[in-house]
Amino acid sequence: MRGHLIKTAVIFMLMSLVLSALVLNGCKRAGSDTVTLCVCNWEEYIDEGGWDEDETIELSDGTSIIGEGSLVEDFEEWYLETYGIPVKVEYSTFGTNEELYNQITIGDVYDLACPSEYMIMKMMREGMLEPYSDGFHDPKAPGNYYSYGVSPYIRNVFSRLSIDGERLDKYAAGYMWGTLGIVYNPEEVTDEEASHWNILINRDHYRRVTIKDSVRDAYFAAAAINYYDEITDEDFIRSADYHKRLAEILNRTDPDTVQAVEDILIRAKDNVYSFETDSGKADMVTGKVVANEQWSGDAVYTLDQAEEDGYELCYSAPAEGTNLWFDGWVMLKKGINRDERKRHAAEAFVNFMSMPENAVRNMYYIGYTSVISGGESPLVFDYLKYNYEAEDEEEDTIEYDNIGYFFEEDSDEANEKYTVTVPEDQGRRQLYAQYPPKSVVDRSVVMACFDDESNDRINRSWTNVRCFDLGRFFNLRR
Amino acid sequence: MNKVTFDRKQLAVPYFIYLVLFVVMPLLVVLYYGFTDAEGHLSCRNFAEFFTNGKTMGTLVYSLVIAVVVTAICLLLAYPVAYILAKGSYARKHAFLMVFVLPMWINFTLRITALKEILTVLEGNLAYHPFMNTVICMVYDFLPFMIMPLFNALTKLDKSMIEAGHDLGATFPQVLLKVILPLSVPGIISGVTMVFLPAMTNYVVLDMVYNSTYIMGSLIGSYFNSYDWNNGSIISAILLMLIGFFTVFTDKVILGKEEERI
Repeated sequence: MRGHLIKTAVIFMLMSLVLSALVLNGCKRAGSDTVTLCVCNWEEYIDEGGWDEDETIELSDGTSIIGEGSLVEDFEEWYLETYGIPVKVEYSTFGTNEELYNQITIGDVYDLACPSEYMIMKMMREGMLEPYSDGFHDPKAPGNYYSYGVSPYIRNVFSRLSIDGERLDKYAAGYMWGTLGIVYNPEEVTDEEASHWNILINRDHYRRVTIKDSVRDAYFAAAAINYYDEITDEDFIRSADYHKRLAEILNRTDPDTVQAVEDILIRAKDNVYSFETDSGKADMVTGKVVANEQWSGDAVYTLDQAEEDGYELCYSAPAEGTNLWFDGWVMLKKGINRDERKRHAAEAFVNFMSMPENAVRNMYYIGYTSVISGGESPLVFDYLKYNYEAEDEEEDTIEYDNIGYFFEEDSDEANEKYTVTVPEDQGRRQLYAQYPPKSVVDRSVVMACFDDESNDRINRSWTNVRCFDLGRFFNLRR
Repeated sequence: MNKVTFDRKQLAVPYFIYLVLFVVMPLLVVLYYGFTDAEGHLSCRNFAEFFTNGKTMGTLVYSLVIAVVVTAICLLLAYPVAYILAKGSYARKHAFLMVFVLPMWINFTLRITALKEILTVLEGNLAYHPFMNTVICMVYDFLPFMIMPLFNALTKLDKSMIEAGHDLGATFPQVLLKVILPLSVPGIISGVTMVFLPAMTNYVVLDMVYNSTYIMGSLIGSYFNSYDWNNGSIISAILLMLIGFFTVFTDKVILGKEEERI
């Protein structure tokens, strides 16, 4: 009898051992000298290396940049060389902000993560984040590549955002940024049509336009359609506090607005090809749809892909206003856990990613725009010229002369310094998506992190849009 | 010293552990979240809201319609195939069965991606017929799950029963309706069970063919995405109850009747 019991117990213990090995797949604490840094980033959002020789970026000043190994490995090497401490990066990825948040609340432990602006604010509000150390923000200290190289425009945006009296830049360092707009096929859609959000409910393009399957992106577009008259009014645009008022209007979440947005989205649902999470890019390239709502980084990717297939797509940031978004590195309290060595490694990781040559590598690899302008280093602007500057013999060119705001303060002088002669179509293509002119960022607003009550209201309305409406089907209402 | 021997009961230990860890415990978690509110207090509000909210009921109806249509088409397509396969000579039988089951070896998202292109060529624009496309893709996806149990049931069917039917002067349609069909009911039921619930919840198919209307699975996903574990869980629980009722119903009523008749 006892033999049986022991055997059963042994089997049980073995099984639970195997299982616990499966379950406890969190971030291990390094017991030895090696610092373990657990980083969680978006999928395909970092240079993974392995470039071909002919992919080498050769800039005008003679610098050549190539990603041989992945940036993560390069960081480990660089950190050991610079600080003499071995570091091991445990790199994992997430698909959506909500997924990241859920993983963390369920108990996954990360030291450094890269959520979007509203999720950063949500995490700040819930006290999940660890502030950067004071030294991190000193642009003069050696090794502070982020503080030194971040675009003054982005620095400004970060410093103006706050939640519960805490400034965003205390907890977050930018990584990539961009706008929300429309990718379109110029042969099927006019520039005029694509420059307004109402293309989503335009019957002329019935079942040929896609919209993002994301509450916030769909909500933003519909709110812009709803307040079209108000926010395109000449007097409104000329008013002194235009930007502030625009941000207020496009961030409205009162019941009336939510209801109006819901009605617009129901119309959009009847009109669009689909709500898409990721298929929009491919459908645009294969020509299944003629326009789709897209983030600027994915737009660049889509445009590149289409170019390889031999035809031209364009990108527009609509005239009513666009959503300025960014993803930023945040340190998580639970992960760092007052471990100074971890904090140092985490900050160094952000700084390493912010070195101009690494920012360029990332931009080349993923197509998004880094928040890094490089400070005194001309590398980032050189890379822009390397990508877009017109050949000497090219005829139809324009002066792209309105991006000084990104590299220095916004002034005529800076605009002149950062002028580049580009083929005419770049004024509405990749360059426009990657480095929007001042006029676009002037009408761009950051979408706030809504309070719980508003979120509830919006989510419920979103479910209403997407669910099958019996009453409407049997014509009982409306 | 005891000789090291295993008795048969111990062979069930691994599965028992698996069952407890990955089936029973998650189920309890689902039930816990389903019947509590955001603050963790016991509450039946989620449950009540599901049945009083027109939109969730709409989703339930829409999912049911999809599931019923898909299951019916699967059954109609699979039955003749399974019958022919089961009645065929032994050598051909298994080779042909492989042909029908083979697609299952390829990941279903890949298969649907391919099917999508074909449908696009046929229809021009997929978004014109979201419901039809959903049904086509789901049928394509779930057909093997219907063929297999039917094939098994029909192979085991005692040939002498059919012969007896013929000997007593019944025509083929009569034999089919009065002998073969009733005897294959267990196969039909397991086929229907394997197709029906996945058809109600497999929202990946809808996403892939651009059907933007939610079914039960996408509704659960959307609740979880907005951190609403409670409402998401109650829907899972309700689906579970539905399938539970369905199983009990078929077991007691249909299979019960069969036994009576035999």
